[in-house]
Amino acid sequence: MRKVFIIGILLVWANFIWATEELFFFCGAAVAVPMREIIKNYEKETGVKVNVTYSGSGTLLSQMELSNRGDVYLCGSPDYIDIGVRRGLLIKGTDKIVSYLVPAIIVPKENPKNIQKLEDLSKKGVRVGMGNPETVCLGLYGVELLDYNNLLEKVLPNVAVFAKSCEDTATICVLKKVDAILGWDVFESWNPKDVKWIKIDKKQIPRISTIPLAIPVFVKNRKLAEKFIDYILSPEKGKKIFKKWGYISDVNKAKKYAPEAKIGGEYKLPGKYFEFIRKP
Amino acid sequence: MKNKIFKIFLWAFLISLVLFFLTLIFGLFNQLKITSVQKQFAFGEIFFAIKLTLLTATVSSLSALIFAVPIAYILSRHNFPLKNIVNSILYLPIVISPIALGAMLLIFFNTPAGKFFESNVFRVVFEVPAIILAQFIVIIGLAISLIKSVFDYINPEYELVARTLGATQPQTFFRILLPTAKKGILSAFLLIWARAVGEFGAAVTLAGATTMKTETMPIAIFLSFASCDIYNAIILIFISLFIGIVVLYGIHIYAENRKPQL
Repeated sequence: MRKVFIIGILLVWANFIWATEELFFFCGAAVAVPMREIIKNYEKETGVKVNVTYSGSGTLLSQMELSNRGDVYLCGSPDYIDIGVRRGLLIKGTDKIVSYLVPAIIVPKENPKNIQKLEDLSKKGVRVGMGNPETVCLGLYGVELLDYNNLLEKVLPNVAVFAKSCEDTATICVLKKVDAILGWDVFESWNPKDVKWIKIDKKQIPRISTIPLAIPVFVKNRKLAEKFIDYILSPEKGKKIFKKWGYISDVNKAKKYAPEAKIGGEYKLPGKYFEFIRKP
Repeated sequence: MKNKIFKIFLWAFLISLVLFFLTLIFGLFNQLKITSVQKQFAFGEIFFAIKLTLLTATVSSLSALIFAVPIAYILSRHNFPLKNIVNSILYLPIVISPIALGAMLLIFFNTPAGKFFESNVFRVVFEVPAIILAQFIVIIGLAISLIKSVFDYINPEYELVARTLGATQPQTFFRILLPTAKKGILSAFLLIWARAVGEFGAAVTLAGATTMKTETMPIAIFLSFASCDIYNAIILIFISLFIGIVVLYGIHIYAENRKPQL
């Protein structure tokens, strides 16, 4: 009995001593689908263990701030890179773009309210869903999109729900709980059987979002983190898988949907949004 | 000597756990000092969240009580075929995670029955009733189980005596059993109310996280955390802690003053 116990302890120690290299990867849940596949391949090819946490971009920053841990950070929109750098959590200048996201109207496959253009969202009786603009990038971009086209005051009364995350916004459309959501192009490839992408007029899109990644200040082995990032960005490895899942990784292709749009950058919610929301 | 060691042993458990909780609270103060402010504190929103939380929790726990008392009475005093299976079904919400319950409810409202209800009775999904329904489903199992144990501890002899003296069954229930169980039921109510106040997973799934509409305290904490706004999250946690401590302290004082039951 005692022998077994000692061998057991030795094995645990051996595991510590000969432990394989590992990375703590804080990854936005919006790219969980392709990332799972990429990580599986990466681990198989390199033997490096990737400990991944999927969650909302802001939640991940909070977790990194409170745990002082993280080797690679990937988020659903560029503003979280700015927040992370400002709060001293990410190393400035290490951010790189993995993919581009084009704002889109996503409707249930049957399109019950026959939504064809952005203006249709203001029609009477249309129930619209969006991400919470104060916390979800999707919601923030949605407000900018509506405001840019002078539709904010007309569409906000039709907004039935703010979802707590990007994925939740997609889910409520899949479950047909709303007639349309302000989402990303890629939602269609997440659930091609249930939802449809209604393309917004090219001139109406003020901004395209990006999926960036960066290195946190807590990085233990920077070389290893950089290698992993190179793998994700490599056209034959990571980007290929992103493409397979419907993500746009080429800026020119993204520009086709919105030639005049800015790419990334910060947008602040306008005062009239708060006035509307806080109206009793 | 042995008695002394035993006593020290007992106290060690108690003290270590209390100290651990106090350390957690102290940690909040500490983090508050070092974290930077992300955005201004919106008093209007927070006040709304507190009001909404207290209102929904009160309605859901009162409704849970209305269902739980008769159900617990049947389970405590009667035997019937398949009782074990019925028991397991009623206690399911205690074991199933709130997020699963929320998803089940959301999916239910996508079925013909759910759709019929929403279009002919009233809208639930993404509205305030969704929060109440989510809280109700999460606490109902707990409510039944707590109240059943209150009834179990009351000797059925009292009811039998009342019946032999000519009281009807409703009279026995309302005049003998309920008054005897009153304090136990009230403690149960406060506990399920406190649980409803803290409900997050099911509520956010069924009601969404709409600012100034379905944003309860736990959802507000989540949203702050989700926008890397740790400062505001901590302030909100303090408010929740305050509410929790007041309720629990209330229960405690109440239980201390409890007269011995019949």
